[in-house]
Formats: sequence, structure tokens, C-alpha cells
Amino acid sequence: MKKRLYSIVFMFVLTFCFAAVVSAVKVYNEERMETNRQVKLQKIILQVLSVPVGDKATNREVLQTFERRVKTIEVKKQTLHVGYSEDGRSITGYAFPVGGAGFWGPVYGMLSVDPEASKIVGIAFYRHSETPGLGARITEPWFTKQFKGLPLFPMEGDKKIFYLKPAGPGKGPNELDAITGATGTSRAVEAFVNRDLDRFLRETWKLVKKG
Amino acid sequence: MPKPLSSSQIFLQGLWNDNPVLRQILGICSTLAVTNLLVNTLVMNAGLIFTVCMSSLTVSILRNFTPMRIRMMAQTIIIASYVIIVDIAIGAYLPDISEALGPYVGLIITNCIVMGRCEAFARNHRPWPSFVDGLAMSLGYSAVLLIIAVIREPLGFGTLFGYRIMPEGFTPWTIMIMAPGAFFTLGLFVWFLRAKFPQTAEEKKQGL
Repeated sequence: MKKRLYSIVFMFVLTFCFAAVVSAVKVYNEERMETNRQVKLQKIILQVLSVPVGDKATNREVLQTFERRVKTIEVKKQTLHVGYSEDGRSITGYAFPVGGAGFWGPVYGMLSVDPEASKIVGIAFYRHSETPGLGARITEPWFTKQFKGLPLFPMEGDKKIFYLKPAGPGKGPNELDAITGATGTSRAVEAFVNRDLDRFLRETWKLVKKG
Repeated sequence: MPKPLSSSQIFLQGLWNDNPVLRQILGICSTLAVTNLLVNTLVMNAGLIFTVCMSSLTVSILRNFTPMRIRMMAQTIIIASYVIIVDIAIGAYLPDISEALGPYVGLIITNCIVMGRCEAFARNHRPWPSFVDGLAMSLGYSAVLLIIAVIREPLGFGTLFGYRIMPEGFTPWTIMIMAPGAFFTLGLFVWFLRAKFPQTAEEKKQGL
């Protein structure tokens, strides 16, 4: 009986001590991790809105640029990041999150459209668990650049805003190159980006236009 | 009580005679997962070295107080705590690499080498030799991972530490990026070393 009690007390004390140490480390680093997350997201938003930020920009520079050039608003539960020109007078674009199930796990991205919502300005994916060298290439510039200038219109029937097809000369401006060897990821991206774009055009954009 | 080993003997064991990957075939999961880029491999190695050394040390310090029946439970909480600390540290100071390694840092908890050393060595040796043993074993593991990564990254991406080393026209071997590439590389590597430097009678008989 005594032995058993000792085991319980031992385990309790051990767990208590280690949990305390881990919690302390966590609390100590919480702020830094939060800043990292925030800066990463802001960098992505600035990038898709075509606001230049250097690769080597410090966290503070990013935060300042973001403060100056971007205003975040909520439109019917949809977060919308409004990009402003250098002088802050005119709107240069709207960025909003896109995302869905990838091949291995959820994919998170950010997409921006021009002030008339007539074409795409930029897209970037910032969190995913796709295979490095294959599906993970959705983050590479050659892939995301293709989306730039893509004309937008609400989907009707089966017609999608854009298609990802095997690399080669596309039939129209809405046929982009998929990633060779990552058919699953390409299909997933095609599906959720089309879906989110369509939802934006149908719901959010109407409200934005009204003001 | 077995005759105490000297530090250099322990090092020889960990790096060569009892190398966790080559001889014991332990820790294969992470060997397959993180060796397609050298930078990731280095960070993973650093994490494992810290975890193995600290857990071995802690288990050894507590060895005379830990009840036999619940020792595994105690080891698990010790190992898990160190791994979470590593995970938080990488997340706070190396956010990009933390992203690339994904769940694999957390999975150090289940790396057989960590608990294997606690069970096999640290729980019946004094703290200092346990620490040295942890260091030797994790360095042995790291050495093998680095060699595999040096083979996989140039063939899979055409780069080494992110710098392009392969000629312009080189077509990357997609398989080298994925787990099967690591299977082949590791298998051939283990076969080669065991055939070249046989330890058991059976290995000696078969040769290269």
C-alpha cells in the first residue's frame, strides 16, 4: 500500500515539475511566436496585394508597412484586407483568405483581386502539408504567377473560373499549368480556389460594392 | 553492476559498434521523413541530440527514486517535456524551419532511440556516463541522417544546403524527395556498411 502511494506521489510531483517548466518556456516565448505568426500572415497579405516588402525586412518594417497600406475589415464574417496606394487615397485591391482540403492536409492561402473585382492580382499559399518538391510547389512563384490577371466572373453551371491542366499551351486565359506529379494537390487547389472566389463574387463583393 | 565504461568506449559504441540506425535499425521513421533537405536534417538532429542527452541525464538522476513499475510512464513525461520545449524553441526562433518540419519535431517523442537509451542505459548508470551515452547515440544517429541527406538533396532537388550544385540540365529524381527514395538510400547504405565492416558471424560469412 505504501509503495503504491509512493508511486502516485512520485508521478504527481514529477508531472507537476515538468509541466511547470514547459508552461514557463511556453509563456516566455508566447509573444515572440504570436509576432512570428502575425508577421508571416501580414507578409503574405502584402505580397498578394503587390506591395513590395524585402525578403530581409525585419518584423518591425513589415508591421509598419502593413499598418500604412492595409486596412482589415469584416464583411459578413468574411475577413477582407483592403490594400491602399502609397499616398493612402485610392484602393489598390482586396485580399481575402482562401483554403480547403489539400492532398495531405488543409491548405491555407491568400488571394487578392483588383478594385473592380474583375481580375486576380495575386495569390499565395502559406500553410500546407503537401509533399516537398511536388504538391508543396504551390508556393513557388512560377505556379502562383500564373494566376495574375486572371479574369473573374461568377460561375455558371459547370463552368469554372479557371482550370489547372497538364503543363502545355492552354486553350484560353483560364487554363493554367497544374503541377506534374501532384495531381491530387492540383485538383484540390482548383476546387477550393474556384469555390472561394465564387463565394466572394456572389456574396461579399456585392456588399462591398454597396459600401 | 556492469563494469563502468569509459567515455571514449561509450562514444565508439554510439557512433559505430552500436550505431542506432546502422546496427540497431532504430529511429527509421524520422530518417525517412526529414532527410530530403539538409537544413531540416540539421535542425532535427539538434533537437534529437538535446532530447536524448537531457532525458538520459534526467532519468539517470532520478533512477534511484523512480519506482520500477511506473518507470516507463516517468520516462515518457520526461521525454515529452523536453520535446515540447524543443518544439516551442524552434517555433519561436526558426519559424520557417518549424513550418517545414511540421509534425516531425513533436514525433521525436516516439523516436525509439530516446526511450531506448533511457531504458537500456540511463536507468542503471550514473548521470555523467548516461549523458555521454545519449550524446554518442544521438551523434551516431545524426551522422547517418546527414549522409543520407547529402545523397538525397542533390539528387532530389539538385541543391546542397539550398545552393544549386547540379548542372543546369539535370532532371531531379522525384523519388528521392519522397519516402521511398530514403528507403532505397538507407537500405543500400546499411547493406554496404554491414557488408564492408561485418560484426556478426553471419555478416562475415555473406560478405559484399
